[in-house]
Amino acid sequence: MRNLALLSAATLAACLAAGIVAAAEAPLPAHPVRVVSMNLCADELVLRLADRDQIAAVTWLARDPRGSSVFAEAAGVPLTRGLSEEVIALKPDLVIAGAFTTRSAVGMLKRIGMPMLELGLPGDFEGVRAQIRTVAKALGHPDRGEALVADLDRGLETVAAAPRPLRALVMRPNGFTVAPGSLGDAVIRAAGLVNVAAEIGRDRSGQVPLEAAAFAEADLIVLDDSGSGTPSLADALLHHPVLEQLRREGRTVSIPNRLWNCPGSQVAEVVKRLAKAARERTVLQ
Amino acid sequence: MSAPLRPAIVERSRPGRLLVPALAILVGMLVLASIACGYAAFDVSAAFADWLAGRNTLPALVLSELRIPRALLGALVGFSLGLTGAVMQGYLRNPLADPGILGISSAAALGAVIVFYSGMAGALSLALPLGGIAGAAGAALAINLLAMRGTGTLGLILAGVGLSSLAGALTALALNFAPNPYAALEIVFWLMGSLTDRSMDHVWLCLPLMLVGWLLMLSTGRALDALSLGEDTAASLGFDLVSVRLRIVTGAALAVGSGVAVSGAIGFVGLVVPHLVRPLVGARPSASLLPSGFAGAALVLVADIAVRLLPTRPELKLGVVTALVGAPFLIGLLFHHRGRG
Repeated sequence: MRNLALLSAATLAACLAAGIVAAAEAPLPAHPVRVVSMNLCADELVLRLADRDQIAAVTWLARDPRGSSVFAEAAGVPLTRGLSEEVIALKPDLVIAGAFTTRSAVGMLKRIGMPMLELGLPGDFEGVRAQIRTVAKALGHPDRGEALVADLDRGLETVAAAPRPLRALVMRPNGFTVAPGSLGDAVIRAAGLVNVAAEIGRDRSGQVPLEAAAFAEADLIVLDDSGSGTPSLADALLHHPVLEQLRREGRTVSIPNRLWNCPGSQVAEVVKRLAKAARERTVLQ
Repeated sequence: MSAPLRPAIVERSRPGRLLVPALAILVGMLVLASIACGYAAFDVSAAFADWLAGRNTLPALVLSELRIPRALLGALVGFSLGLTGAVMQGYLRNPLADPGILGISSAAALGAVIVFYSGMAGALSLALPLGGIAGAAGAALAINLLAMRGTGTLGLILAGVGLSSLAGALTALALNFAPNPYAALEIVFWLMGSLTDRSMDHVWLCLPLMLVGWLLMLSTGRALDALSLGEDTAASLGFDLVSVRLRIVTGAALAVGSGVAVSGAIGFVGLVVPHLVRPLVGARPSASLLPSGFAGAALVLVADIAVRLLPTRPELKLGVVTALVGAPFLIGLLFHHRGRG
């Protein structure tokens, strides 16, 4: 009886120890077959790089045609809202999450030893290439990662940068802009433009007051004109009479936010469109 | 029959007579201060000259589509809230009455939210203030029915608190049902109020409706004076109480409903300002109506200038500032009345 008690105590201790080890470094499988993505940017890479039958679930954001560059690919794939319960129920052998989103769920999944890959927010193209390769390797398809990186590089090579360093200011719903040092900033610079957000006042959350945007002397105000079809105050801001006037003067360019919400080969398309808009604007001036 | 009462009603003390022009001048100055204050420095007078001359320069655009509408809306919304507060306090003979506390503002926000996020306001922009007015009218009617059943001072206030909570919860529900992903985050605007990035369109949407509401409420001044002697006395003095109630409910709904539809619900203005002007004009309800309107406009303008001058970014909501002033005021009032009661 006493031996049994000792044995179970030892087993418990061993389990605890194992649990702690697993939490510290849950090994990633070489060829995962039930991948769950918990973040839109992870969704985009998983849907581009994995076999369809490898994907157990992506987030509900992947199907939003406004925010997701893979909304077509996401059709038919099971969705979650990134809650730990949903993820555990799917019994994944690999979870890919964002380093800044659904933190409590990710912490919980790590504690129970779920194999976890966390993706940061790269601030330049080198970081994008590295992230594509990391995810491709974790999915067991490093070759597809190389192909996607080659896509990105081909896209970037074919861009003819803007003839003059015009000033660009990105205005997203609620007046959020692209902060210096982010990937969006690298995209603007790659197109040969200057990101005005670096010089004008932004608040802590990265919002630009409309007045400041109007007086920023931006040659190009970059916003998403596609619209969601559903009203919100956040979107209404982008149709304020001040911005409508700048639009009539040809000082805005519309680029879908989904193309550069996330790191991926699609950001080359944004560089291309920005450079094209800058060329047209230079001719006008 | 009302002749013997007339001298008491018409007589005005000297400061009372000067109060309305003084407050009107103060509001005018605050409107100018509000126009001068913002997030980008530019030559406002040059911009004004450009605007008058019809030159479509950027400063003229910012002046005419951001600064001026913001200042005008502050004055209009503040006037509506102050006037409605004074009318409600006089009519209900309740020193704690206020469109915010009685749930009229929250219900207006609910109406505006349903209309805006369902897309109706996109099809017809007038639908937005009409939604707010419908919500406000519902709440004002409910409060009026309770008052007619003889609900006491605190009973009415508690009913308003309940109505406010219900409307707030339904607003949150409506926003969570709204298809746009940003909608759920915008509850802060509707419950706390803000004048950020409004445009001249909003001014034209609410101005005519507000004017009608103001006139309806101002027309009840003498009836409110008579009502302070009791309903029977007022009726015997020849006031048609049904018409008075109808004008007050409709006027409050038009003024508060259209205001909330463009600015969100800004609390406590209608509660505070009648108490501030009463020492200057006396206890007669009719004497406090116009001064309360102007004082309300001044209060909202000051709050809106403050949120831009304070170094908090993103900008504080207006309701935060008015609650910082108004909530302690409400608690003080409660203590005061308990001491007297």
